[in-house]
Amino acid sequence: MSSEIFNPNPTIFAPTKSNKAAHAYAKPHSLWLDDGEHTEDEEYEQSDEPESIDQDEIFELIRSISDPEHRSMTLEQLAVVSAPQITFDPRHRDRITVEFTPTVPHCGMSTFIGLSIRVRLLRSLPQRFKVDIRVKPGSHQSEHSLNKQLNDKERVAAALENPALLEVLEQCLSSAGHPDHDH
Amino acid sequence: MSERIDRLVRTWIASEQEQEIHDAASEISQGKATLLDLVKSLGEYLTSEEDDLRTKGVEFLSLVLAQCPPERLNRQAVRVLVSFYCGKLEDTETIIPALKGLVTLTKLPAFTSPDAVEVVKAIFAHVKMKVLVQSQRFMVFSIIDNLVARYREALKDMSDEFIRGYISLAEGEKDPRNLLLAFAIDRVLLIEFDVQKHIEKDTLETLDICLPVYGPAIARESARKLWNCLKLEIFQPTDNVTQEKALKTTQILIQTIYSASEAERNDSAEIEGLAKEACEECIQILREPEKSQAQHAIKVLCAFMSTTPSVARYTLARALPHLVKLFLDPDELPNRAPTLRLLADLIEAARISTAKDSEFLPEDGNVPLSPYKDEVLGVLTVGLKAPVSALPAIDGLKSMMLTTGLLSDEELGFIVHNVNEILQKDEDESEITDAVLELLSTVSSFAPGHVSGNTLPLLFTSLPDHAPPREAEAERIRYWRTLAYLKKLCTQPDLFETLVVRLSTKLDLVCVPSASVGDSAPVDLEPSAAYAHSLLKTIADVLSAKIDVGHKDVTKYIDRLVPRLYNLFIYSALLAEERPVVATDARLLAVAAQIITLITQTLTAGRQEAFVKALFAAYLEAQVSQLAEGIQKVAADKKFAPLEVAVPVPDETAFLNRLLEWTVTHAENALQREAVVHTISAVVNRHAENLESFLSTNVTQFWNSQISDASVFADARRNAIATVTWLSKALLLRSHPGAMTNVERLFELFDDDSVSWDAARAVGRIPGPDKVLTKRNHAVIKILYAQKYCNVVLPRIIEGAKSSQSARQNAFLVALAALIKSVPKSTYAHQMSSLLPLLLRGLDLPDNEIRASVIDTLQAAATSSGKEENNSLLAEHTSSLVSTMLKNSLASNMPSVRVRVSALRFLGTLPDVIRYDVLHPQKATVIRELGKALDDPKKAVRKEAVEARTKWFKFTG
Repeated sequence: MSSEIFNPNPTIFAPTKSNKAAHAYAKPHSLWLDDGEHTEDEEYEQSDEPESIDQDEIFELIRSISDPEHRSMTLEQLAVVSAPQITFDPRHRDRITVEFTPTVPHCGMSTFIGLSIRVRLLRSLPQRFKVDIRVKPGSHQSEHSLNKQLNDKERVAAALENPALLEVLEQCLSSAGHPDHDH
Repeated sequence: MSERIDRLVRTWIASEQEQEIHDAASEISQGKATLLDLVKSLGEYLTSEEDDLRTKGVEFLSLVLAQCPPERLNRQAVRVLVSFYCGKLEDTETIIPALKGLVTLTKLPAFTSPDAVEVVKAIFAHVKMKVLVQSQRFMVFSIIDNLVARYREALKDMSDEFIRGYISLAEGEKDPRNLLLAFAIDRVLLIEFDVQKHIEKDTLETLDICLPVYGPAIARESARKLWNCLKLEIFQPTDNVTQEKALKTTQILIQTIYSASEAERNDSAEIEGLAKEACEECIQILREPEKSQAQHAIKVLCAFMSTTPSVARYTLARALPHLVKLFLDPDELPNRAPTLRLLADLIEAARISTAKDSEFLPEDGNVPLSPYKDEVLGVLTVGLKAPVSALPAIDGLKSMMLTTGLLSDEELGFIVHNVNEILQKDEDESEITDAVLELLSTVSSFAPGHVSGNTLPLLFTSLPDHAPPREAEAERIRYWRTLAYLKKLCTQPDLFETLVVRLSTKLDLVCVPSASVGDSAPVDLEPSAAYAHSLLKTIADVLSAKIDVGHKDVTKYIDRLVPRLYNLFIYSALLAEERPVVATDARLLAVAAQIITLITQTLTAGRQEAFVKALFAAYLEAQVSQLAEGIQKVAADKKFAPLEVAVPVPDETAFLNRLLEWTVTHAENALQREAVVHTISAVVNRHAENLESFLSTNVTQFWNSQISDASVFADARRNAIATVTWLSKALLLRSHPGAMTNVERLFELFDDDSVSWDAARAVGRIPGPDKVLTKRNHAVIKILYAQKYCNVVLPRIIEGAKSSQSARQNAFLVALAALIKSVPKSTYAHQMSSLLPLLLRGLDLPDNEIRASVIDTLQAAATSSGKEENNSLLAEHTSSLVSTMLKNSLASNMPSVRVRVSALRFLGTLPDVIRYDVLHPQKATVIRELGKALDDPKKAVRKEAVEARTKWFKFTG
């Protein structure tokens, strides 16, 4: 991996709070305040309604991936990823597009960032999902080739064969899923 | 030519004059002689038996070497000299001059990588830093520094050997001159070498100790250099700990430089030198508050706040106006939130600096922040209005409020007024509201007047007098939210008193609407009951929080609240005979009972006695006037007799027996039965010594007629088993043998198909924790009762689960699952090897609750201490564990969300606790199967599946 630094002093954004913790009392369809006497069981079994995978849940998966250049910061803190940049195909709920924004247009880490999002979702989303990963239009100088690269199965697979790259990738992914983790 | 060299050598050995060194060096530089000639001439001295002569011999060589022009030293000469000097390091008499020579040698162009490795190895092998003085150690560091600068790759190839050797050299170094060099070396090692990070931290810690010792002169001298090194650690940190240590060292450096001069100088003198320069640097960086470097810069400034008063004042004078200006700059509008974050950090640092050191505590009004108070307050209150910047604004305000002597009472009121606005308009539950409440409870801890005078009235007004109808969900959520705010704010005694008054008034209105409203009263009472329940629950929660922090004012509510509650509920119970009323709902009774219990727990024995008397008078003799008092008039013509039978109090045995019968004959529902069973258990637990006949005769009778008689309905038998469970629990806690008698009886039921599992669960639950027989409720509890119980019961369960026939075996497994859930881990940990196979069988029982608790037990075993042993145990059963857990984690096989979550969590733990070579064969299967769990219909399950699958992906040898 190149030791060139593309953006030594990036802008930091305050993270949004992990899925706004619904308060115990804010239970729809109930007159009664939760009296805290419920067992864990009852809490889980409250309704049988299936909860489908939504934008927030996917964002939750990728927000805490570390930035490869600034390992102590997450992609969310650098506004590389955000919830609104995750979209579902209205006709096929299994097709999603994840857009990300490199911090600078010449960022040489963009492929890597895209790859880390790709791998995280490959591991965490059910197989039926087809994920399209692309950089935000106009945010990168070689946007087209980047997009092509990131959605080329063979190239992704080839990249993952590279042990050195895989090691850095695992490091960046190790923070994923732990939004409160202090680096 | 060598004669001349010979002569120079002899003269120098005798006289040690500078001249001979110079002459010898010039002979060599003019090419009239070579260094090797010199070595030859020195020969006899270098090998002399006399220590002194050997020292001098090597010394002369090194001195001449230092003056020789580098180009005169060819590869061969250097080669010879390297092995010569390395050899001399072994000799304690020549080690010092040899080091001197090596300092020169290692800088020469003809010196090569293999030489570097040889020198380093020789130094590591022979040089003992502890016996050297500072200047000599300095030479060692210089040599290493030369080598690291020029032969890095060769040293890297030595990898660990070099790092370890270097650490032992640098360990314990305390002299700042040497440390400077060590520090430079560390930096290279850290960046380019694969090192554990603690080397550098050691250096920083050492600096912390020795800087003050060496005093301001040396500190000032090396200030710039040190700061440059420290800066790297702060602004491009390798990790948080090192950054913190570097900040600490910076603090000490500043303290060392400035604290001495502080005394001699008056306060207004301008700060010069490092503090000023560093401050300027940071302010420059703070011009872009939204960037990552700004976060590091503010840390430096915050560190400066706790150095010396004058540096702190200077820092504030430079940084605060800068941040305020930035905030107000229209071009910087988008950066207001990060600007306020920086400001809040600085205010907090200023507060800490005055709080922790009483010497710094200024006379009234002379707080460092005081001069900037108005503008900072102004900026923060503006920030409060915008949701993006509200959080840092609240933090800043909170730190200001907590700064001793900074704010006036009016200013506190001003802040409270401003944050109240957020509470009122904030429709959405958010972390901002949490922060506001946090701030308000902070205020209420030292100035409750502002909260009770401003905030509470707003909240109380927004609570409706009558419950919103069933369909008005938004209104309901609004009152719940208000109550949640009140719950957080009202623990302080004054505020709690207001809360109790206001909420109990509301409660009366809701439960007993005034006549005019009553006529048109809605038929649907449930919304009112639910509202009343919420009001009571709020009081109960606050009470419980107050008891946890030991508030003394709880006691007085035995007079202020308890009689009102009894009055309301007794009144309602009697009225219910005529028409439906709100306060007869069991859920309301339960929470009211909780309040009363919480209050009575805190009373003195004397006051409790009086209370119990009044209680008995009311419940047994229908004399309610002692117990109940309130606005509702309890009907005089109706008798309050909840137990409906005469109960003789003076005879405890008869009393308990009557109650026991009552649970069977009169109890209308579970709540009533439980209440009476709890009463019996409490009395038994306290007075068992006087109750032998009850415990033998009456309980046996009860057992025979209600439980062992198979003709009794199964439901009734189950209720009776629950009663006996409680009785046994009460006895077990005080180590009464009666407990085990009941357990024996329960074991006998394991063959009885209709109640065997109930009996089994009871055996497991007897030692479990409960909310009635507790220390707080003054129960008699002997230590290690659970341990003793397990010592007797566990072996029987293990035995039974192994040997008996299958239906009976299952009952034993049920008992086991219930038991391990109710006792501390330590009571069964030592038996784990015999328990594990049984627990695995328990996972096949068709009962989700049992499966979940078995998985939890396995989880606890896998992650607990004493790991090695348990894990080798788990390793033995790896393949069956993995396949069972996978089965339990898929929605297609397992309907219970709870079980799926637990199973996935357990699967996620396995890679952490089981060796790769053992677990590895399962990897492909697990990853494939967990892929299916990712598509679970429930979000909570998917989350665990992602977590577990990630663990397995990363699981490599």
